[in-house]
Amino acid sequence: MDLELAMQSFLQESAELLEQMESILLDAEADSITAEQLGALFRSMHTIKGSAGLFGLDEIVHFTHQAENLLDQLRDGHLQLDAELSGVLLRSHDHVKAQLAAVAAGQPIAPGEQDNILADIAALLPPADMPPPSAEAYASSSEPATDSEWLLSLRFGPDVLRNGMDPASFVRYLATLGQIQAIASCCSSLPADDSFDAERNYLRLEVQFCGAVDGEQLASVFAFACEGSQFIISPRTELASHLQQALQAGDAAEQQSCRDIWQQWGLWQPLADSAPLPTASVAADSLPTVATTADSKARNSESRFIKVEAGKLDSLINLVGELVIAGAATNLLARSHGNSPLLESTVVMAGLIEQIRSHTLAMRMVPIGETFSRFPRVVRDVGHELGKSIKLEISGAETELDKSMVDKLADPLTHLVRNAIDHGIEDVQQRRAAGKPEQGHVWLNAYHESGSVVIEVADDGGGLDPQRILAKAIQRGIISSDAMLGEQDIYRLIFAAGFSTAERISNLSGRGVGLDVVQKNIETLRGTVEIDSEIGLGTTFRLRLPLTLAIIDGFLVEVGSSTFVIPLETVVECMELPARPGCTDMPERLQLRGEILPLLYLRQFLELDGQAGRRQNVVVIQTGASRVGLVVDALQGEFQTVIKPLGSLFRHLKAISGSTILGNGAVALILDVLALIQHATQQEAGRYTLEQDPYQPAGNRQPHNNDMSSGK
Amino acid sequence: MAKTILVVDDSTSLRLVVKMTLEGAGYDVIEAADGQQALALLDGRKIHLVLSDLNMPVMNGLSLLAQIKQHPDYRFTPVIMLTTETAEHLQRQSQQSGSCAWVIKPFEPPQLLDAIARLILP
Repeated sequence: MDLELAMQSFLQESAELLEQMESILLDAEADSITAEQLGALFRSMHTIKGSAGLFGLDEIVHFTHQAENLLDQLRDGHLQLDAELSGVLLRSHDHVKAQLAAVAAGQPIAPGEQDNILADIAALLPPADMPPPSAEAYASSSEPATDSEWLLSLRFGPDVLRNGMDPASFVRYLATLGQIQAIASCCSSLPADDSFDAERNYLRLEVQFCGAVDGEQLASVFAFACEGSQFIISPRTELASHLQQALQAGDAAEQQSCRDIWQQWGLWQPLADSAPLPTASVAADSLPTVATTADSKARNSESRFIKVEAGKLDSLINLVGELVIAGAATNLLARSHGNSPLLESTVVMAGLIEQIRSHTLAMRMVPIGETFSRFPRVVRDVGHELGKSIKLEISGAETELDKSMVDKLADPLTHLVRNAIDHGIEDVQQRRAAGKPEQGHVWLNAYHESGSVVIEVADDGGGLDPQRILAKAIQRGIISSDAMLGEQDIYRLIFAAGFSTAERISNLSGRGVGLDVVQKNIETLRGTVEIDSEIGLGTTFRLRLPLTLAIIDGFLVEVGSSTFVIPLETVVECMELPARPGCTDMPERLQLRGEILPLLYLRQFLELDGQAGRRQNVVVIQTGASRVGLVVDALQGEFQTVIKPLGSLFRHLKAISGSTILGNGAVALILDVLALIQHATQQEAGRYTLEQDPYQPAGNRQPHNNDMSSGK
Repeated sequence: MAKTILVVDDSTSLRLVVKMTLEGAGYDVIEAADGQQALALLDGRKIHLVLSDLNMPVMNGLSLLAQIKQHPDYRFTPVIMLTTETAEHLQRQSQQSGSCAWVIKPFEPPQLLDAIARLILP
């Protein structure tokens, strides 16, 4: 038996059960628990106990048995699920988890908190407590050494067949324990007329048996069939009393027929003789059996998921990336040769590659719910620690994003959630004074928006106070006291390293480390953080992340001799830069359908050589709510872009997020749209201040520079 | 031809161990995760014995037992309850509803095979 395989399955199953148990416990704390949930809770411990027993994990059996008892009491309504009980159950959950982890790691199970928890469980349980079932109960009693002879009178009940038991099976089983020396059937109760019921048992069996067994063992053979049946089993030495008992059972006809059998066997000395009865086995084969036709084995329909090593997927995605590049190269070659059938076939191939690409990437997509599911526990623990009552609401758990991102999101999200509870949600007194419900709310929400995934962490707490943030930032020397900042920029200050507005430093947050780390984490994922806040109403942190990290749909633009890639999902529209007859200077903004669109000249911004052509194009890019027009020379169109990271030498370049290889082998740089937009909006804001303040020398404008670290 | 046993339990690992035990003894095994799934498998194929857990989601073992006992094709199929439950009233109740045996988890493979051998032969 491949126990290792079974053990793996056990560990995985137990982990799932524990997860379910935890989520029920956390849900139930806020709301009333349903009978179904109680059943599931009970089953989680129950099933782990049952399976752990199979693997001889006595420690776990012992512990889960106690927990199960507790849950049983709860299920039967003898106990109420209050905070205390829930706490004990959660600790039990943790303990079982730790025990299982030890088993998985092949280490001995440490006692850990076991005794404390067991004591707490015992305190909650009513005194009468059953000991755990032990395997000893089944150990067969010691076997007698010698063969002994037995007499058996087997009066199976009329319903024995209906209950799925075939008397013939029992006889066959009996034969495995020893030797059946003689057997005879007593069929006196068979109806003479056609009231015969094929599903009813009419037979009584008389058996002489010899084997190395004791009476208990023999009785246990027939233990399953005891309902409505009568079995008289005696050693041969007690012949007289056996016959007496056996002959008392049943009606006169049965007694007579039985007497005949005994007489036949020479055990009974009667007055009259009668016809011999065959000592053959019962006609078992003629008994009704279940009619079936189908014989096919049921295939397990459970293997809907295949586990694949992440590394294999990564290399597959790499290869698909190379395939995309090679496909583009082929297409280019075909185009340069002007061979139209070849061109056609490359187009077909490109379509297939596109599909392979999207399917490969989809393999890496996992629902964010996996990450979200840890938060009920985080919220509960942090809430208890701080003495705040918090309700967590999760939505959009089915939103999918790249697996590697899901893993890296856990920490920043945890930080934001803790932050929301610690700093966002006010104390109960403050909430009451503000006329809010005492219970604070934290929301976790995820959804897809225009090619990116948005994750929101929101609270209904006090909100961010811009004045306080400003004061703190000035005090900490993060900004100068005469800085002019918009609301968003002020909020952004809380991400600065060494910033903390909490006057009181708690164990969880408020030490000024963290939010800057959050932002850094999100930025390494090519994501952004936005903050919405309203004093007295709450704060929302909005994380915007790309769907994947490996391949994007790009939009190729040309400036001079260089080609650049703009992530397609950020491109809103393209247009020609309207010519302005009579004007030689370059417009700094454009009026687009009644809105002002700041322009960013890529040639000037990146300090590229060459003169702008007569016709220039504007690519409108957008992240969040801000839009900027990028002025470029030419538009080349869509291109599947395999992102190659930049070497460490170029890491500090803020406007470039990576590179890619074009079909012709040339390298194109991928523009960091977020950085470009930030730069352009700051430049725009700078112009406004200049225009408002005519005395400011004009040469004080921000220089165009690749390195935009000054803007961040 | 090997006899077919339907194993009903919500624990995959338990089903796996039972399956290995039974297949090792020469039985064919089909599986179901709860009573409802088990009933869906009673579709005319030959099943010689049902081995069922008691405490399962969707449909528990006792309901399954009652359903089997009413099933025109399977009402004679022996049913063994394989459970951690030791409560006697449940045991009696299941016996009255027509179960044949009551094996308690954790089981020793020989003990389970023994119980089955009394009802059907390999």
